[in-house]
Amino acid sequence: MQRVALVGAGGMGATHAASYGKIQNAKLVAVMDIRPDAAADLAAHYNAKSFSDAQKMFDEVEFDIIDICTPTPWHIDYVKIGAAAGKHVCCEKPFGRTLEQCREAIEACEKAGVTLFIAHVLRWFPEFKKAKELIDFGAIGSPAVVRTTRGGGFPHGWNNWFANFEWSGGAVLDLVIHDFDWLLWTFGPAERVFAKGLYNSGIPEKDYALITIRFRSGVIAHVEATFATPGGFKVSLEVAGDKGVINFDNTDAAPLVIGKWQTESSGPGVPVPSSPMSVSPYYLELQHFVDCIEEGRKPAVTPQEAMDAVALALAAIESIKTGAPVRL
Amino acid sequence: MSQEIKPVRIGMMSFAHMHATSYAASLTRIPDAELVGIADDNPERGKDMAKRFKTQFFGSYEELLQQDIHAVIVCSENIKHKDLVIKAADAGKHILCEKPLATNIEDGKEMINHCKKHGIRLQTAFPFRFSPAMIQAHQAVMSGQIGKILAIKGANRSKCPGGWFTDLEQSGGGAVMDLTVNVADLIRWITGAEIDSVYAEISNRINHKDFDDAATLTLTMNNGVFATIDPGWSKPESYPFWGDVTLTIVGTDGAIWVDLFKQKMNLYSDQSSSGSWEYWGDDIDMLMVKAFVNSVAFGLPVEPSGEDGLAALTTVVAAYESANRRIPIKTVDIGCNPAV
Ligand SMILES: NC(=O)c1ccc[n+]([C@@H]2O[C@H](COP(=O)([O-])OP(=O)(O)OC[C@H]3O[C@@H](n4cnc5c(N)ncnc54)[C@H](O)[C@@H]3O)[C@@H](O)[C@H]2O)c1
Repeated sequence: MQRVALVGAGGMGATHAASYGKIQNAKLVAVMDIRPDAAADLAAHYNAKSFSDAQKMFDEVEFDIIDICTPTPWHIDYVKIGAAAGKHVCCEKPFGRTLEQCREAIEACEKAGVTLFIAHVLRWFPEFKKAKELIDFGAIGSPAVVRTTRGGGFPHGWNNWFANFEWSGGAVLDLVIHDFDWLLWTFGPAERVFAKGLYNSGIPEKDYALITIRFRSGVIAHVEATFATPGGFKVSLEVAGDKGVINFDNTDAAPLVIGKWQTESSGPGVPVPSSPMSVSPYYLELQHFVDCIEEGRKPAVTPQEAMDAVALALAAIESIKTGAPVRL
Repeated sequence: MSQEIKPVRIGMMSFAHMHATSYAASLTRIPDAELVGIADDNPERGKDMAKRFKTQFFGSYEELLQQDIHAVIVCSENIKHKDLVIKAADAGKHILCEKPLATNIEDGKEMINHCKKHGIRLQTAFPFRFSPAMIQAHQAVMSGQIGKILAIKGANRSKCPGGWFTDLEQSGGGAVMDLTVNVADLIRWITGAEIDSVYAEISNRINHKDFDDAATLTLTMNNGVFATIDPGWSKPESYPFWGDVTLTIVGTDGAIWVDLFKQKMNLYSDQSSSGSWEYWGDDIDMLMVKAFVNSVAFGLPVEPSGEDGLAALTTVVAAYESANRRIPIKTVDIGCNPAV
């Protein structure tokens, strides 16, 4: 049984907590957040202790895993104190705000001999798993050109931290790091990246970028990152190879639509499509991590891979700033 | 303005490009147009088509141009556009020229100048501008419905057409040459801005031959808007449709998604081995040809013009250079001054 202490009781913290609630060989024992109420509310759901002071949590609670769901720039702080205390570490993506932070985190965990897992959950999304399986199987032949889309409106978090580009890195680092990891996992190392984007343009509550990646294999990928488009969260993937094409669009893949009439004053009813699964990818991802810890295996996402995804995102941001392609 | 011409008498120069059949079919359905005849340097093809469209075949372009016609439609291999356009202009015929207007900027300029000198209306065949969905998207942008435009994501993919399209001597380029210009034209039309620079990643990983078939282009417009275009012969033979044309327009107050050929239905028939998509939307080739016929009939300016064709072609030329040099290429540096 792995005892988990969760740091950061926001949106992702709640998602992780819910997953641990379903994992047989794990138990959420503590929740820490700088906002004591947030920590207490989430902890209460799972019968865990709550803290607003990390040191106090380490002193007072025995646990095996620290799970980090704070805004990105603070990931490194908790990786370091977790590793120093001999805890295994699960950390939300993006791994770090800078490559230096990623390096420091890897060193700290290696030195402490603890396992470090960066939660690149896309690898457990069934559609993305399936697409990789089909590609690896050769269903579309040798891949040539890839297109991905991800996003919707501007996210709102604690202290509006997503709008602080120094903290979040905007849509390029925070959002399409998912696609970057999947692309690197599926198509191998990237050679260069060219990107255009609004990045910190001053237009409130908007970020949008179009990123082109050339892989060493010759594959070309085009990534759309949007915190600027209405109509809900959209995800699409298309991979064209020399023997076929795969495409997927989440707006076409909704087996369930619930439509309700609203009152006359609130206008017409809005149908809400959804794509339910018996298990959530977040559950699968964390179950994998917990099993790896129990069985002494290495998790499927290596820290180096997570750092490569950050490197790609930061290179894209650099390209946006300089107007030139950036070699990796 | 001159008197109305009725009917507008039109000749077709070459059926090398498959769009010619669609344009010829359009002419037969437009009441105020008359398809007078066909000339083709491939006489077998020309005779076949003349038979199919119940019109006359002429053994040479010169012979066709001597007929009492007002205008021509040029659908030759890309590389021959220039010669045919100049011939037609010399003969005083208005011209609808298949895209890309030319295969290099010098040729394009010469064609435009020559037509201007002879008072000839030169239209570039960009049918997407005539799609009702695209027209409404354009109107929505113009009326400020999505605020100020920030970025555009475009794509135009098809199956590999083969034939002369993949012979660089005749096409001047692969998929980037074939498919970029239509979308570049839409981006210029919708933004009302000119292309300032182009970055491109280009590959031949679909066919593994000496022509390009997969690419991503990034355009920076002179008003700061950025855009990308995926021009690819990346649809496999088994794809249920010829291809697609899509545009995402992102503005400060919203976004617009256009999927030009979405008006289709699924067909699964035991008479064929795979399913297909059957398009039932407007025939945009027909709408474009109608506009051409109209401009000749009433002496109206043509749109999209030869200049529009040249501006779109500049994207292609810049893209090939960018892919070679691995840097963004400014359009002014390759001899296209957007201000002129
Ligand atoms: N995998 C995914 O699909 C996914 C989705 C959203 C966010 N994320 C990632 O998860 C992380 C958290 O994002 P979120 O959406 O939950 O943000 P959020 O704003 O909803 O939550 C952040 C929480 O962290 C707390 N916090 C802030 N600073 C802290 C500190 N120094 N110590 C402890 N707690 C602190 C805040 O009080 C807040 O409760 C980010 O790295 C983000 O990129 C991942």
